[in-house]
Amino acid sequence: MLVVLVVGMLIIMVWLAGRYEASQVQDKLDRDAAQAVVEIRSGLNRNLQDLQAINPLHVTPEQWSVRVAELLQVRRELLRVEWRGENMNIRQVAETPYRSVEWDADLREESFSHAVTACSNAHRTNSPAYSSSYFQILGGTMGAELMEVCLPQMEGGHVRGFMVATYSLQHILISQVSKNLTQNQEISFTEPDGTRLAVLGAAWRGSRVFTSQQLLDLPGNTMVLRMDSWHRAPSVFPNVLTALVTGMAIALGSVLVVLVRDNRRRLRAERDLGDALAFRKAMEDSLITGLRARDLQGRISYVNPAFCAMVGFSAEELLGQSFAPYWPPELAEEYVRRQARRLSGAVPPAREGHESVFMRKDGTRFPVLIFEAPLINAQGQQTGWMSAFIDITEQRRMEDMSRASHERLQATARLATVGEMASLLSHELTQPLMAMSSYANGSLNMLQHDGELELLDKATLIQRLNDLKSAMQRIAFQADRAGKVIKSVRDFVRRRSQTHDTITAAELLDAVMPLVRMQATKLGVKVQVDVEPRLPPMVCDSTMIEQVLLNLARNAMQSMENVEAAYKKLTIKALWDEPSRRVVFSVEDQGAGIPQEVAEQLFTPFFTTKAEGMGLGLSMCRTVIEQHSGELRYSVNAPRGTVFTFSLPVAGDREKLS
Amino acid sequence: MEPVTNATVYIVDDDADVRDALAWLLRSRRLYSESFACAEDFLAMLTQRPVPRHPQCLLLDVRMTGMSGLSLFAQLKQLEGVIETVPVIFLTGHADVPTAVQTVKQGAFDFCEKPFSDNVLVDRIEQALQQSAQYLEETALRHALLNRLADLTERERGVMTLVVEGVPNKLIADQLDISVRTVEVHRARVFDKMQVKSAVELANVLRAHGQL
Repeated sequence: MLVVLVVGMLIIMVWLAGRYEASQVQDKLDRDAAQAVVEIRSGLNRNLQDLQAINPLHVTPEQWSVRVAELLQVRRELLRVEWRGENMNIRQVAETPYRSVEWDADLREESFSHAVTACSNAHRTNSPAYSSSYFQILGGTMGAELMEVCLPQMEGGHVRGFMVATYSLQHILISQVSKNLTQNQEISFTEPDGTRLAVLGAAWRGSRVFTSQQLLDLPGNTMVLRMDSWHRAPSVFPNVLTALVTGMAIALGSVLVVLVRDNRRRLRAERDLGDALAFRKAMEDSLITGLRARDLQGRISYVNPAFCAMVGFSAEELLGQSFAPYWPPELAEEYVRRQARRLSGAVPPAREGHESVFMRKDGTRFPVLIFEAPLINAQGQQTGWMSAFIDITEQRRMEDMSRASHERLQATARLATVGEMASLLSHELTQPLMAMSSYANGSLNMLQHDGELELLDKATLIQRLNDLKSAMQRIAFQADRAGKVIKSVRDFVRRRSQTHDTITAAELLDAVMPLVRMQATKLGVKVQVDVEPRLPPMVCDSTMIEQVLLNLARNAMQSMENVEAAYKKLTIKALWDEPSRRVVFSVEDQGAGIPQEVAEQLFTPFFTTKAEGMGLGLSMCRTVIEQHSGELRYSVNAPRGTVFTFSLPVAGDREKLS
Repeated sequence: MEPVTNATVYIVDDDADVRDALAWLLRSRRLYSESFACAEDFLAMLTQRPVPRHPQCLLLDVRMTGMSGLSLFAQLKQLEGVIETVPVIFLTGHADVPTAVQTVKQGAFDFCEKPFSDNVLVDRIEQALQQSAQYLEETALRHALLNRLADLTERERGVMTLVVEGVPNKLIADQLDISVRTVEVHRARVFDKMQVKSAVELANVLRAHGQL
């Protein structure tokens, strides 16, 4: 389109340039033709004045002849001058010395000859008049187009005679115009119908002709002066060149404008890009989330400062590595497998991320939360993986702290309840005990009054015995009261044990395992859970059994605190025991075992080996299990550690529960 | 220890069994007791009739429904000479050492933790009664002394002050601008009224009751 437009424009330009050139040439031609007309007319007028000057009425015929001869010598366009009388008869004649023409004198005096016609016109108008042109044979085959002019000679208001001059049209052109004529011009007199009367010039002919016609209006005769100018066909090349140059200049200009604009836009885009890059860099640097990109071969292609700070390695140490130096050696194998799985692109990881453990440069381990996303380039192809890392050490610590404080709070609450309970109980029991003690001591006091009893008379003795009897009755009554207090406490405990749920072993463990695993991760203990499939649902107070499992698991893990990492393993099993038709739970550790002196008091309330313990854990566990008509046992685990076992009844045996 | 005769032991405890048991125990040791179910009753008794002029003591339970033992004790302290006449032994089922220390410092006779060894308690009660008796005796003596001092005339009192300071009769006569004979008469009257035989005895009596 643009090309068509440009080409069209160029063509129009060339055409316009040609038109302009042609019009220039035409203008010049018109000017030259007009100039020629002016010159011819002035030449004719000058001749008229000269002829007027040689008035035959004031000179002698000899003088006339001399002066006319002089004139004819100078004015070569005049072929013949006649002096005619009033009745047109020729009185005197002078001819040009340059050519010889055979004139037929009689013909010239005929009333219809051109000279006579002109003179009659002159006589009528009383001023010079021209005749129309005519062809005169000039000896042999030659001929020329001639024209007569007649000047009436006035004297005292009457015409006394006429001066008739004969012009050769050809020579008018030669004498008046030829010096101004250029090489490529041709000038001619034509009749109004286009017949050429006389031609001059045009030695060189071009392929294109320009024509200008001017009217030469003479009294008595009107001729057309036609000027032809021969030109080369307007040469296209210079015009095309001009057009091309112009076009190229325009094109250059527009290209320049476009370039400048483009450059400006490019600069702006570059600046924007720079800004965007700086912004992104600042964003990456300010992130506390570690970022790492890996290519499809697993080589690290990018890490941000937060990631470097997190693992303690510099970016140079990490880039290009396919085996990450921040992998803890003991877990590296697993990570390599995980990476291979990821690189195989089997499953695009979900956005929820996964937890892992990394190693700092100084060897310390720390937990991280990893989010991974495929790295897609602008062409939509995956080029690697982008991962975001969050150091969750602090989060873990906070979780641990809140859990610990929560546990402490619960323990305190329990302690407070226990304390309150104990206080209430002691008050309730103190009163009857005190009363009993008082009665007993009082009775003893009565009996101990030395020797008195023997001395007393019978009535007083009976009175004294009655007193003692009443004291004994009161003691019995108070003992009963104390017993009631104890019974009410027992009733309360029994009421609590009456909530029973139907629950499977798997559900029970599911409820407990998150807490156990959390603590296991913290203590570095591996946890193994074995649940026999298709266990029948059990009947138990699930909350209490959960507490028992938690307690046993925690004790087990704490017992392994000083054990080598490889042995830190907690096993929780739930198996079916056919003979008793019960589900047997066992909690096994590989810890230090239970020393003999501790074993003796293992289930004693308020006995503990832990600095912060209350000593109620195992005794409570035993109580709970006993409420489920089971027994909490412990035995030595092989090769080391302890196993705690207890069993729970299944749902069908509800009636067995007391 | 001499059993204190004609004594009363007040028991304030909201537990009827405890009151009965304590009364029984005290009776076995030949001590008369009066029981009150609450602090308000005891306070009412105390304000309705004058404090008896015989040895007494109060067994007070700390934790009771209504007014607590501690607030009753605080009220008794407001009353002139009551906690001296009626020494207070606190009984409590809850060992609370700071409370015990504080109450004893504030003038309680003792603080016993339930359940207590009964006869030890009774021994403490007897000690309290003895202290009560002693206090009553002292107050009676001082009362008498004050009565006697009140009997002295202006002149006799002036002479007595100087005599007690050990000023010879002659100088007393000079100071009071009276004759030695008159001084001797006054001196004899003072000794007679104050029921003493010598100036040294007089000084001792006055000093013992803080009148010197």
